[in-house]
Order: sequence, then structure tokens, then C-alpha cells
Amino acid sequence: MALIECRKITRIYQRGAATITPLDGLDIDIEEGTFIALMGPSGIGKTTLLNLIAGIDTPTSGSLVIGGVDLAKIPTSKLAHWRAENIGYIFQLYNLIPVLTAYENVELPLLLHKLTAKDRHNKVAAALELVGIADRHDHFPNQLSGGQEQRVAIARAIVTDPKIIVADEPTGDLDRAAAVEILSLLRQINRDLGRTLIMVTHDPKTTNYAQKTLHLDKGKLLELESRPDHTAATHG
Amino acid sequence: MISPQFLPLVFKYIVRRRVRSLLTVGGVATAMFLFYSVQAMHQGVREATRETSQETRLVVYRQDRFCPFSSALPEDYGPRIGRIPGVKAVVPIKVVVNNCRTGLDVVTFRGVPEKAFEQGFFGQVRFSDGSLENWKSRNDSAIIGERLAKKRGVKIGDRLDIGGIVISVAGILSSEEPQDQNVAYTHLDFVQRASDNKVGVVTQFNVAIEDPTQLERVAKAIDAEFRTAAEPTSTWSEKAFVARAVTDIIEIVNFARWLGWGCMAGVFALVFNAIVLSVRDRIRDHAVMQTLGYSQGLIAQLIIIESVLLSVSGGILGVVAGVILTTWGTFSLSVEGLSIHVHASGTSILLGLALSALTGVIAGLVPAWQASRREVAACFRAV
Repeated sequence: MALIECRKITRIYQRGAATITPLDGLDIDIEEGTFIALMGPSGIGKTTLLNLIAGIDTPTSGSLVIGGVDLAKIPTSKLAHWRAENIGYIFQLYNLIPVLTAYENVELPLLLHKLTAKDRHNKVAAALELVGIADRHDHFPNQLSGGQEQRVAIARAIVTDPKIIVADEPTGDLDRAAAVEILSLLRQINRDLGRTLIMVTHDPKTTNYAQKTLHLDKGKLLELESRPDHTAATHG
Repeated sequence: MISPQFLPLVFKYIVRRRVRSLLTVGGVATAMFLFYSVQAMHQGVREATRETSQETRLVVYRQDRFCPFSSALPEDYGPRIGRIPGVKAVVPIKVVVNNCRTGLDVVTFRGVPEKAFEQGFFGQVRFSDGSLENWKSRNDSAIIGERLAKKRGVKIGDRLDIGGIVISVAGILSSEEPQDQNVAYTHLDFVQRASDNKVGVVTQFNVAIEDPTQLERVAKAIDAEFRTAAEPTSTWSEKAFVARAVTDIIEIVNFARWLGWGCMAGVFALVFNAIVLSVRDRIRDHAVMQTLGYSQGLIAQLIIIESVLLSVSGGILGVVAGVILTTWGTFSLSVEGLSIHVHASGTSILLGLALSALTGVIAGLVPAWQASRREVAACFRAV
């Protein structure tokens, strides 16, 4: 059974008088432990699909089952708890909390879990170490470069050991060198920690780091590319 | 109830947004200081005018006269009052004030015969310094209230010039009575000569009765005794006398109470505005926190706690400033020789703090509710 099963997923928005349908009867299965890139031009529904999988948006129709749990059956009051247990989210613009240091940003999701202060500290330290930003733990976001901020954001996304990590154009705001570092880090997290990683991107070069690329068009799955020899993926 | 591990997050938002927090807390502190000060004035009025069923003091004044300068009664009324059934003791008092207008620094001279203290007329007299014997030893000596001594920085043996009347400090009175705070008790004949040089004329008689239930009867009997005299009298219980004399102040203080409540409205508006702006700035932050798993209810609680902390911090500062000012400033409103002491009370302090906390809760409710209702995905689209 796939970790993520989407059946006939449709999402419709109202923007004033206009009706927007970014997803229209989408069917996708995503296996556990895979690194998936979602490709397509802007406005095609990539981020919408990502938000549905992350549980921060709900489909207008269709079914979305993650880890055997139908998200539609989770009451709104419990959905936040489900996200805390299962999802790590990496934003394009990092979205670190400006008044918190790097350490405190990474610790933020751990406050929701029943952990002692010492356990929280150990997890945060390990996450910062993994992403290579431990020496900047006491810096505020405005004291970090874009690449460093994204590393902190990645640390925050993985610190709770979520089943699924979603990344919305994680290199969209970075220069090429920083983007390579971030993509390499994401691949390392997928390989070494075995996390399922779903990355939205509009840059074809970044898909080389993923095992599979899903092309979306007009709200449906257009094409699926697999990359059996994932170790050979390069950027450039 | 929110878990304690989230509280540091609230503190960080307050402390690390220093300017906004300081401005909000400062504004709240100013408003609460004003609110508390008004409450302190009101407390003074309440204490000075609160009648009880155990009242045993009457004040005999010249009928149809309302200030010490115009009330003149013959000193020989004293023995006649003393013969009225129910009267325990009578003391003639010459009242002179150094300022006939209402003010914050009015000193009242009360010229009394020596026996007034010996008869226990003023209750158990306690001296924080000096003694009755000291007072008896010189004609120009005075026993002054603690607050007056503190305000003028005088000690035993010092000479004090108040409004042209020069006295020698012989004792400092320790008393709970508001009327004993800004007062100088002198010898009766001394103040009669030092003021208008009318020996044999006094401003009022203070009368102690045996039975508090007989207060009204004795008052009527005294006025009946002098109804047809050249100087007819008007007799009141001491508290009623004070209430009547300070009517103007009472009206002003009652009006000021509305200003005090206006200050509370200002506190609400200030905190509400600060929290609304803060929440608006943090739309993205709250959306991120919801993505991380923070529930709408938890985020709402964090906002309300922040609102309460800001409001209570300002409330504490304002109330403490008010307490310091009213305690060390030793203010009292004086009119016609009567004093209303503006001072701190436990009730006013608790009221101020409770109201600032409640205001914080109410001010935080609407922004908290609004923040918790926002859809996460819509927030990211919006900012």
C-alpha cells in the first residue's frame, strides 16, 4: 500500500467572481521513502497538492489517505495534532519566526510534543548538526544568509521525525551554489533518514535530485518520470 | 489551560519587540497611575465622610456659616453645652487655616484648652515624638500631625512659620484620623491672639457624648439651647459635618471618578490596538505555527496571554507609581480647615491590578478569535 493515496482529488477556489480549479480529479500514489519532485508551470496546482498532503488545506472532493488515515475523517480540531506528528514543511521563503533564534525556531514544533527540556535540546542539537548550522544556533533569522535560513527551516522540518517532508520550491529564493547545497541536503535526508520527501519545483534541474518527477497540467497528472539510478543525479 | 512550556514563547514576543512593548506598557502604566490616583482620592473622601452607628462626636458650628473665618461662637457656650444631658465632654476649638481656598498644602490650626487632651477628648493620644508636657510648657508650642511634620521636615524643638503664625514643635501626633494629619494643635488663647486677636471667641465646639444612640437627640438639644441667642448654632455629627463642608470636593472627586473610568477605557484601547497590530504583523508567523501543528485554540491562548501580560505589567507599574506618590507625597485635599487624605489602600491596589488583568483578557479576545479563524493556506496566499 502506498503511503499517500490520492483519488479523484479536486480543489476549487473562489476568487471574487472567478472560480479557480487548480486540481481536477487527480490520482496519485506515493510510496514511502521516495523523493518526489512535482513539476509544472506556475498556478498549475503544485502547491495546492502539497498543502492538501500537509493537511493545511482540504480537498473540495476526492479522497486523500495518508498512512492509512483518511484526512477527511480527521476533525478540524485534531488536524493540527496530526500535522505535528506526521508532517515537516519547508517553505520557499523559509518562514522562520523573526523573534526567535535558529535554535528556538527548530525547537518550536517540539514544544507540542511531550518531551523533557533535555530531550528537546538533544533533538534540536542533532537537527542543527545534521544541516550544518550548529555554530549559528543563537543567530536570529536576519543575521543569517538565505541558504543558512533554509538550513534552519530544514532542521525545523525534520526535528520531529515526521513521516512526510514537504518542500515548496525550497531553492526558489537561493543562488545556484546555495541551491545545490540545499538539494544535496534534502537528498541526504531522504537517503539516510528514509523520509518521504515531496518537493515542488518549476526548475527542471532540481528534479535530478529526486527519484521520481510528477508533471502536473490542468489539475491532473500528466507524466511520471522515474530515475532508477538516483545516485547519479547531479545539478547542472 | 496552556502548558507552561509555551510561556517563554510569549515572553520572547514581548521582550524582543521592545519598542512596541515598552510603548504599550508605558501607556497602560500612565493610565493606571491616573486611575489609581483617582481611586485614592475617592478612598480619602469615603473615609473622611463615612458615618457609622458608633459615632459619639458632634460639631457645634455657627448657624448659616460655612467656613472657619465666618463662624464665631462665644467661648462661654461651652459650659452651657456641657450641662445638656448626654454630653460627656465639650472642647472649644479655634480653627485657623493658612489658606482659605481648597488646596493640597493647607495647614489647620486648632486652638484647644489644655484639658482637651487630658480629658481624653481626642481619644488615646499617641505621640511618635515629643510629649504633652512639652506642649504645656510653652504658650506658643504645638502638637502637629505626622504628615505635616514629614512634609515640612521638622522635628521636636523646631520653630515653624505657617501663614505668619510661628509655633514651636512640642509633639508629633500619631493618629489614624484623617483630620489629624495636617493639623497643628496649639493653645487656645495663643491662636486666638495670633490670628484675629479675638479672645473669648471660638470657631466651633467639639462635643463627646456618652451614648451613640443619643447622637441626634443631643444635637437637637444643643441647637434648641441657642435658638434665640445672638449666635445660634447648627450641630452635626463629625462625619456629617465633614461631608457637608467638603461637598464641593466630593463633587469634584465624583467627577474625577468618571475620568478614572475613562482611563480604563484608554487602557483597553491601547492594549487592543497593540495586540491587533501585533497579530496583523504575525499573520504569517501564525500560519507557520499552524502548519507546524499549533492548533487554532492554542494560538488564540498565546495571543490572550500576551495581551494580559502587557496589560498587567503596565498595571503594576502604574499602581506602584501611584502608591509611591500617594504614600511619600503625603497629599491631602483641604477645604475650610478639613482634610481629605489621598492615600493608598489595599482595595484600590487590588482593584487596579484586577482591572488591568481583565482589560488584558478582553482586549485580547477579538484579535485572538480573528487570528484563530484564519485559514492557513489563505494566510500564505495573502502575505
